[in-house]
Amino acid sequence: MGSDDLWYKDAIFYELPVKAYSDANGDGIGDFSGLTGRLDHLQDLGVDCIWVLPMYPSPFRDDGYDISDYYGIHPSYGSLDDFRAFLDTAHARGLKVLTELVVNHTSDAHPWFVEARNNPDSPRRDWYVWSDTDDRYHGVRIIFSDTERSNWAWDPVSKAHYWHRFFSHQPDLNYDNPTVREEMWNIMRFWLELGVDGFRVDAVPYLIEREGTSCENLPETHEVLKFLRRRLDEHFPGRVLLAEANMWPEDVQPYFAEGDEFHMAFHFPIMPRMFMALRLEDRKPLEEIFERTPAIPDSCQWALFLRNHDELTLEMVTNVERDYMYEQYARDPVARINLGIRHRLAPLLEGDRRRIELMNGLLMSLPGTPVLYYGDEIGMGDNIYLGDRNGVRTPMQWTGGWNAGFSTADPERLYQPLIQNPVYGYQAVNVESQRRQENSLLNWMKRLIRGRKSTRVFSRGGIEFLRPANHRVLAYVRALDHEKVLVVNNLSSTAQAVELDLRALAGAIPIEMFGRSLFPRINESPYVLTLGPYDFFWFRLRWL
Amino acid sequence: MSPPSILSDDLLRQLMAVGQVDIMVGVPTLNNAATVGAVVQAAHFAFGNHFARERTVLINSDGGSSDGTPDIVREASRVESETVLAAHSLRTRHRISAPYHGVPGKGTALRTLFAAADLLQARAVAILDPEITSITPDGVFALLGPVLRDGVDFVSPAYARHPLDGPLVSQLVRPLFRAAYGRRLHEPMAADLGCSGTFAASCLEEAVWESDFARYGIDLWLSCAAVAGGFRMAEAALGPRTLGPRVARPGLQELFPQVVGSLFSCLEMHEAFWAGRTGSEAVPLLGEAPAVAGPAPPVERASLIEAFRTGVTDLGPLLEQVLSPETLEALHALSRAEGVITYPDRLWVATVMEFAAAHYRGVMHRQHLLQALVPLYLGRLAAFHARAEEVGVDATERALEALGESFEEAKPHLLGLWNKEGGR
Repeated sequence: MGSDDLWYKDAIFYELPVKAYSDANGDGIGDFSGLTGRLDHLQDLGVDCIWVLPMYPSPFRDDGYDISDYYGIHPSYGSLDDFRAFLDTAHARGLKVLTELVVNHTSDAHPWFVEARNNPDSPRRDWYVWSDTDDRYHGVRIIFSDTERSNWAWDPVSKAHYWHRFFSHQPDLNYDNPTVREEMWNIMRFWLELGVDGFRVDAVPYLIEREGTSCENLPETHEVLKFLRRRLDEHFPGRVLLAEANMWPEDVQPYFAEGDEFHMAFHFPIMPRMFMALRLEDRKPLEEIFERTPAIPDSCQWALFLRNHDELTLEMVTNVERDYMYEQYARDPVARINLGIRHRLAPLLEGDRRRIELMNGLLMSLPGTPVLYYGDEIGMGDNIYLGDRNGVRTPMQWTGGWNAGFSTADPERLYQPLIQNPVYGYQAVNVESQRRQENSLLNWMKRLIRGRKSTRVFSRGGIEFLRPANHRVLAYVRALDHEKVLVVNNLSSTAQAVELDLRALAGAIPIEMFGRSLFPRINESPYVLTLGPYDFFWFRLRWL
Repeated sequence: MSPPSILSDDLLRQLMAVGQVDIMVGVPTLNNAATVGAVVQAAHFAFGNHFARERTVLINSDGGSSDGTPDIVREASRVESETVLAAHSLRTRHRISAPYHGVPGKGTALRTLFAAADLLQARAVAILDPEITSITPDGVFALLGPVLRDGVDFVSPAYARHPLDGPLVSQLVRPLFRAAYGRRLHEPMAADLGCSGTFAASCLEEAVWESDFARYGIDLWLSCAAVAGGFRMAEAALGPRTLGPRVARPGLQELFPQVVGSLFSCLEMHEAFWAGRTGSEAVPLLGEAPAVAGPAPPVERASLIEAFRTGVTDLGPLLEQVLSPETLEALHALSRAEGVITYPDRLWVATVMEFAAAHYRGVMHRQHLLQALVPLYLGRLAAFHARAEEVGVDATERALEALGESFEEAKPHLLGLWNKEGGR
């Protein structure tokens, strides 16, 4: 694999729902033409790869993750030609594009399922998982526990039960059927030939079911995924697969396999621990999760994020930790959904600019590829009263004018109302005003991203944690070949002094990476630093 | 085990206080008390006259002077007349005088200065020779301005000189540099220069600082590295060059192997760059084209010719290992001639190129080889002087240009010798 084929290691990813980004045709729903017109913003921010949430035709009972046609574009978002134009424009600007690949299930409105339920003798019947009873695979956990009572749903048409790990309107595909695998590859090939640079593959642990198991992470599931990767490498080298598998890192590790399954996978458990460490003012949760994070093949990479289109998931924490997180970050019970919290980044951190900066500083300096969520670069707020997780999917706030510059439609026609409160409303928080303020969060984010991209140490280097006596300070050295960066974070709301044992780096001159100020040379003595509340330093170490 | 530090802790502390700068002027010194004051003052006035808004620092990197050079630097920086200058700096002017670590020599001093420039993120750097007292504030500006204004990475000075001044440069270094590297620089081994912070940082990454280059040939290497590295270059017209008095300068027997050995070694280092190039291009000259200045330096022509004849005779066996039979025969013929000798361009070019190739191929101890070229150079010098006396200054200028062209035309000969089988 060539060095350029590892682009995903150095890239900054940016996740966005097309419907929420920009509406070019004035129908109140964002579309690809609108998105194409906003690529300046992404390029200016320093983004390298756009991850587009599902854009396929869909009844939209799960925000597009219930696909009814894998080969099309939802009419609200435009046409295939609009998508092509978006892709070409993005590529011309050096931006890559990842789309969603929902492999586990389809919508119950998909013609495959309609045919399967209407005609038990149809070849499509075996594309789904059917049972006469609902007691097979007993004990398998229910993921959407707030809404679903069973993983089986009764189909009154064909008078049988069908298997679904998510909503009951999302029947699982049957990957024991080789035709289904081939069809999924055909879908991938269709989009790859159009030029997409890879897929974020949804819900990967659940592809295969076996009696007496959890029906998750089965060896047969890995075989399916390896089959798809093999085809990808054969026909489209340099394209990427990013796994969504909300699990402990040691359980995700097999999805990298020997570097022949997924290129990337989200590291879910880090995220809540970043929030927890911040609230506890203690680095312990983060150190612990990194201790249990196994090594992965050189060609692979973790994807890190602070927030995304879903709830801040608390699946990968203990009950005690979850209670603490709810108490600290979701006192209003309405903010809680499934096993998580449906807030955006800024409201989670009470709009505290210092904490937002520190969290983004951690995101950009810990090992992995950072994935930003649209709107978080300007500190957008949310609306937890919109139901499901729609509150973090409100229209992007471009300006302080009509519909926040998102759409020319009547405000009542927008797919969802804008955030309008005085703190996070679009008049107060928008791209245009932040672009004009030198010290805005947006401009600060640009500088942070530039800093991150000024060296490959962050994207490709190793990490070694220092363990100073002051537990409020999280310090680590990122290293790649001869290049080294020292990162020191104050997780506390108060100023802190810390003594670092840097004898192994004696002789180095620390250069603060944003202001480029010189700090005293490191020697055999403890290195004393003082940090303001939620302060952090990135020091490039030079031996001169 | 961490590598030894380039910068002393004391210097680093001072750099921390300075912080980021736009302009750095570096003055490497070793017992230059007699001349350094004028140089520092020129820099100081340049800061006031031309860079009132920029963040500036002057750093004196001293090799352990025993004549009070650092004190002179400090004093010269404290220009009391600043308050009456029409333009003066809006910012604090930083000045640092610090001893450098490591092997004594200009290379170590320069490495220290470049490391400081890198740490301070200097956009433009000027290195001023403490002995060139003719430097003016406008001259300092001429070295720095193109870097700041036009994005030039390397600014080489062009002095107004008599065509017979600096014959080692005009007869050998300049034309061979031109032929090999494809750039026509007036002063390929100038001690004054301007450069970008990017160029300084890239030089730091090169593995030359511990070698003999660092002691004797660093000025020349910088020019070569600028061309080979693809850096944007310019020349700045600085007017006449005046060297202040100095206790002792190295004689030709010492200087010649240092300079010529450095150039030959640069060729070896950058072989991949120059081997495939033909022709040459001028480097953009900023300012007035340098005019002829000063009188022709006097030479004892008879003693030069005598040294040449003795050398050709005594060094015969050694020259046989270096030179082709045709070249050797032509030299023997020359040495037998009565009176003033005529050492044609073509023969001189062949001589130099055959020595360069022999140096590369290691046909003998390099110091011996370089010493063997000295009497031949003296013969060429005597011949050129004699001809210059006959034809006048303008024709001599043209003769130097023709010499450069001859070197260019003979480049295939050099390449042929360089790649000859049975060599290294």
